[in-house]
Amino acid sequence: MIMTPRLRKLALTAHVTASVGWVGAVVGFLALAVAGLTSQDAQLVRAAYLAMELTGWFVLLPLAVASLLTGLIQSLGTKWGLFRHYWVLAKLLINVFATVVLLLYTQTLEFFADVAAETTSSGAVPSELRSPSAVLHTGLALSLLLLATVLAVYKPRGVTPYGQRKQHEQRTLSQP
Amino acid sequence: MVDPTPSPDTGTPRWVKVFGIAALVVVVLFIVVLLVGGGEHGPGRHSPSSDPGGHSPPAGVTHGDQQP
Repeated sequence: MIMTPRLRKLALTAHVTASVGWVGAVVGFLALAVAGLTSQDAQLVRAAYLAMELTGWFVLLPLAVASLLTGLIQSLGTKWGLFRHYWVLAKLLINVFATVVLLLYTQTLEFFADVAAETTSSGAVPSELRSPSAVLHTGLALSLLLLATVLAVYKPRGVTPYGQRKQHEQRTLSQP
Repeated sequence: MVDPTPSPDTGTPRWVKVFGIAALVVVVLFIVVLLVGGGEHGPGRHSPSSDPGGHSPPAGVTHGDQQP
């Protein structure tokens, strides 16, 4: 079903807002992850990991799902389709992959937050919190999301075999 | 998805092939790293040192197929 121009603009606005918001949230998350990995202040490290768990559940995950859903609506409601153009398909794969990894990674974030919440007699930073895991995963996520943004802006050429069949069908139907 | 007029094209573009090969290489590297690391992938894997008397990651977290 093709959306009306007004509805298409609304859906596009929602998709851009969710997707760009996701990128911004990941940048903020990366700052927390770097602080958690490198800071010498034990309280700051613990606070960073506690904040990362909250951000993961209540900012990153909702934005990821919103980006995925609005992207599906935007592609299925326009002539672009979901499987017709390689750049749309690539964005879909990136979005699904990043969302699944994020969903799985919330378990790790919970583990780190549990460690961060426990008090120790020495007051030192637990060794588990010196893991580069969060920085590595966030860096990967940021790279993928920036790649998806580039694809959305440049829209590189290329129609999938399915898209070519659909185009052929439409041309056949439009001819008298 | 700003431009509402898709451009027609045929064949697999070079950028798709390059992206596909890059993704394949990353997946293969990831599998190799998992195999070398004994299937461990989680906070325990990235930790600089183990803590015998301390915390252990949840079972679902440490298995390689849980977190790429």
